[in-house]
Amino acid sequence: MNMWARNPSENLVEIHDLHYSRDNRPIFSGLNMQIPRGKVTAVLGPSGSGKTTLLNLITGQLGPDEGAVLFEGGVVCPCSRRRLYEVRRQMGVLFQDGALLTNLNVFENVAFPLREHTDLPEELIRQIVLMKLQSVGLRAIWQRMPSQLSGGMARRVALARALVTDPKLIVYDEPFAGLDPISMGVIVRLIRHTNDALGITSIVVTHDVEETSSLADLSYLIADRKVAARGTPEELRNDKSDLVRQFMQGRADGPVPFHHPGPGYAEQLQAMAAT
Amino acid sequence: MIATVRDCWQSFGQFAANFGGFQMFSFRLLPYLPKALLRPRLITEQLYAVGALSLVLTMFGGLFVGMVLALQSHSTLVEFSSIDSMGAFVSETMVRELGPVVTALLFAGRAGSAIASEVGLMRATNQIAAMELMAVDPMQRIVAPRVLAGVISMPLLTAIFSMMGIFGAYLVGTRLLGVDEGAFWSQINARVDMHQDVASGFLKSIIFGASASLMAVFEGYYCQPTPAGVSRAATRTVVITSVWILLLDFILTGLTLPKV
Repeated sequence: MNMWARNPSENLVEIHDLHYSRDNRPIFSGLNMQIPRGKVTAVLGPSGSGKTTLLNLITGQLGPDEGAVLFEGGVVCPCSRRRLYEVRRQMGVLFQDGALLTNLNVFENVAFPLREHTDLPEELIRQIVLMKLQSVGLRAIWQRMPSQLSGGMARRVALARALVTDPKLIVYDEPFAGLDPISMGVIVRLIRHTNDALGITSIVVTHDVEETSSLADLSYLIADRKVAARGTPEELRNDKSDLVRQFMQGRADGPVPFHHPGPGYAEQLQAMAAT
Repeated sequence: MIATVRDCWQSFGQFAANFGGFQMFSFRLLPYLPKALLRPRLITEQLYAVGALSLVLTMFGGLFVGMVLALQSHSTLVEFSSIDSMGAFVSETMVRELGPVVTALLFAGRAGSAIASEVGLMRATNQIAAMELMAVDPMQRIVAPRVLAGVISMPLLTAIFSMMGIFGAYLVGTRLLGVDEGAFWSQINARVDMHQDVASGFLKSIIFGASASLMAVFEGYYCQPTPAGVSRAATRTVVITSVWILLLDFILTGLTLPKV
């Protein structure tokens, strides 16, 4: 039993003193985070800050070097494959591109988790799938193949698929990236609506400040390998720290520098000329 | 000089790592195979993709190889006054050797590259990751049915290849080169042995089928998730499988050759 494990409380997911590095480069050093039940929590951060890595740690695709990620009070990773799959059955993950199975049509994509995990009769599967497709507004295109869908539609189908097993948690990876304003509005509405209507918990991993402000109950800003700020979108907007202001106001230079850290320009020119 | 040695050493290390990875992958797959048999629909789908869709290529391949064998053997057989043995010569060559080997090479080129590309694309487009996050084991859902389909379809394709080869030799031998029809078939009947020849070819085809499909899913499963990575996986599948099958054929032929 991990020292962090305890009975679940108001938080569905808890991250304690997380350390994770890749190729000897630290990504997180002592990151702490609590995801409250029934709320929409946004995880914000500049590109390269480790948002998607954090998503992978929460879903057990990666294991922490130190610290723990708890889901319902139990450690997500390391654990047995069976335990990991038990945890994942209570989660839904929405990939940036939807990650629909390209050889199955929309209906079969949504039915996929049901067919794999249950022995429900075909009639019931049909009703559940159509209900989920109705909830994302795409019941009419149940016969289409993924290649015939727009980016926004693919994400909505993927959301229906994520919801079909009634998970406790849905994790959205960059749900607004590359969408037109209408599709973006639809996704924002769906995230909020499904969260409230089904009483689930949502984590939205994004760098889109504008959309997040209208959506999230709680926001975390990740930078410099740990949580740089935590609060409601309003609190983050009024934060006085330079890093938070740079991110929230979209300034090109600041604590996150315009130039990637490295040797001086002249020094590099000399070094390259010498070789 | 030092750089060359270092490069060679690194290449060897890379090869050893890949070979070890392939062994681990194969052993990891074993417990999934019996369970995959419980979902015959998945295997049937793959049988169609790797077997049925390779049928035309296999049939034409066999037909032309048989026709060429008849033409090539004609002058030598005439020289030794053994023209009536053409049927037996072609049949034994097809059933024991060329059938399993050439079918496996054609399989690697058509079905193997298709499997590697498909699985690689599933990796690159996060479909495999999505399955894992839906608590669906990709080894069970993707890998095992494809490997089983390769094992099942290869002996069938080999049999069709050999049959078409013998038919091609029959056409060329009896219609063009004047071999007696009765002698052609009776020599086959007399010389081709069920245990020595057919069983040996059958065993080879099963082993080649398992090797080719395993290599294809392995390369696709662990390819770099980029367009170049998927393309490299397809190429590597064809190259490595071809060399591996020829090496395996040498070993198996040595083990199954009848004692004189």
